[in-house]
Amino acid sequence: MSESPGQSSRCSGLRLSLACDLAEVRPATLAVRGFLTEHKVSEQDVAACELAMAEACNNAISYAAESRRRDPIKVEVMCHPAVVELRIFDHTSGFCWPDELALPDPENESGRGLFLIQALTGNAEYFRGESGNILVMRRPRTPQQAHFQAAPAPNPEELSRRLFENEQVITDLAEELSSCYESLSAIFRYGAEQGKPPELEDFSRRLLGDLLRITAADWFVLRLADPQESRLTVFTASEPGLLLDALEIGVAFRTFRSVEVEATLTRRDVWFDQPEALLSTDPLGALKPGSIGLVHPFYVGDSLVGTLAVGKSRLRTPFTAAKINVVHAFADFLAIQIVNARLQEERVNTLLVARDLEIAQNIQRSLLLGTLPQLPQLELAGYCESARQVGGDFYDVIKLSDSTLLLVIADVMGKGIPAAMFAVILRSLLRALPELTSRPSELLARTNQLLFDELSKVDMFITAQLVFVDARSRRLVAASAGHCPMLIATPGQVRTLSPEGMPLGILPDTPFTDETAALDPRCRVLLYTDGLTEARSPSGELFGAERLAAWLKQTAATSCTAAELKDQLAEELAKFQANMALNDDQTFLIMA
Amino acid sequence: MNLKVQIKGDTLNVGGIKELSAANANDFRDQVRAAMIEPLRNIEIDFSQALFLDSCGLGALISLHKTVCSRKGIVRLLNPAVPVQQILELTRMHRIFEIVKD
Repeated sequence: MSESPGQSSRCSGLRLSLACDLAEVRPATLAVRGFLTEHKVSEQDVAACELAMAEACNNAISYAAESRRRDPIKVEVMCHPAVVELRIFDHTSGFCWPDELALPDPENESGRGLFLIQALTGNAEYFRGESGNILVMRRPRTPQQAHFQAAPAPNPEELSRRLFENEQVITDLAEELSSCYESLSAIFRYGAEQGKPPELEDFSRRLLGDLLRITAADWFVLRLADPQESRLTVFTASEPGLLLDALEIGVAFRTFRSVEVEATLTRRDVWFDQPEALLSTDPLGALKPGSIGLVHPFYVGDSLVGTLAVGKSRLRTPFTAAKINVVHAFADFLAIQIVNARLQEERVNTLLVARDLEIAQNIQRSLLLGTLPQLPQLELAGYCESARQVGGDFYDVIKLSDSTLLLVIADVMGKGIPAAMFAVILRSLLRALPELTSRPSELLARTNQLLFDELSKVDMFITAQLVFVDARSRRLVAASAGHCPMLIATPGQVRTLSPEGMPLGILPDTPFTDETAALDPRCRVLLYTDGLTEARSPSGELFGAERLAAWLKQTAATSCTAAELKDQLAEELAKFQANMALNDDQTFLIMA
Repeated sequence: MNLKVQIKGDTLNVGGIKELSAANANDFRDQVRAAMIEPLRNIEIDFSQALFLDSCGLGALISLHKTVCSRKGIVRLLNPAVPVQQILELTRMHRIFEIVKD
């Protein structure tokens, strides 16, 4: 690079000549910077000229005709009292200076040079010639701070301009400082509220109301995504009662443009500062026509939490980088609060469900008698183990006289609280119909009539077995509503008793039958639910009806009490299942 | 171009930039890209010492922005001087880069 300074009465000049090499550009711009600074051009103008010149030289070198690459690029700089003029002489094939210079798409890596030249100088002309072209750029000078001793006193116009410039700088600084202060104080203030019960919508509205004030925006719309990240629903907005439909993320993108959906799909801020950016078909465009602003999608980790749209009138100043940082800081802070509130809600719900189950379990336990009524020469023992905290199995023993009682065993379809509730109702009904307890089939028929509507409404049913036992006559009468067969064992043999009958809740009027059996002195009677026969070993083998019958048969040869037999069967089951979790409730009543 | 790169978590910190211009933009872009090994996803560039940024330098930054976007990351520009920040705002680059000031 070579340079030659020049001087005239009205202006100072500098001529540079640089080789057609991009590495030459920066030293040349630094030479121009030195020249302009020496001539008391303001730093702001120097920086603008430096960059405009760099852009022009880059173009001149990058697009130089191959045959002219040996020719140097010439640069002339003239420093007039009111303007700095830069001339770049290139050897390219030339181009037509565009009437309008707009910024390219933000994703484009090039195409900003001419825009910068125009924006920085305000006056650029391009002249094409046969042997070369000239780009002339003129930058009006802003007044430079005068040196107290050498410079003459500035005139009132210059003073006024200087004052305006300084005021502008102070205003910008104050605005940024204020933004930072208000952002911090708002976040601390809201952070302090986290110990209080969360009212998330109110909290969000107040936080974003502060955001509008800090960023000088007019409105906001906060949408939250569902857990599947397929839908965006308005959570709160600057205008209460705002009516905006939910956005189906996939559908909206295929059928119409939505800046909010676009932000979630690209995971980036989407700006709407051009008229075409916010279409009237866009839900936000229909709501806030003529707005400028942005949509910021916010995440916790990789999970989309929602979108925050912030806008203002097109007539107002666009958002600066400082304001955008405030929008981001608020949205990210809000995202954490929203996720925390959701986790808290889930924790509370889990605790409530656990509490409900605990209550239901207590009710169910209270149904099982601590001490079973006994008959002369006939002992009873019962066992009930729920697969979950609250199951649908239960047994009951209703003493009718000194020598008679009613055995009840039932399995409500399903588990958990609904099953336990029907178990409670069934137990109450059976105890409320004492006139029928000696006729189990009639008791089942009546119970079915009373329960049918409730059971069919929720598509549930109950299997049950009722056994009337008379110790004096040594006989029993049994009826079944679709329940497992009852087992009666005597030394050397075991038989099943399986009276016909549909489960309760299947048909409103269905018949049940009674079957009678004699009770031998050494007989064992077992009423059970299918949780016993369907118990599985770790290898998947079923416990099965045969194994159960064989076990009961061998007990008839022993002199064990009912309580001992209960413990033995419970132990058999535990051994068979080898501590595996129960799939179904296991309940039985044994009489010996 | 002597860049200083350092890895912190999933972020590549880049320093030592005095200027980003047509003469060194491609070199800068290639060096940073080469340092962006998996699973890095963010790039933080210390701009506090950068005195000059032209459109070619912006092009290099946009190229890095595209690289991190494919990894769901972001480019952060730390403490740019006022003239550089003005260029970023003039070209609306502050909308795709996060500009952070201490």
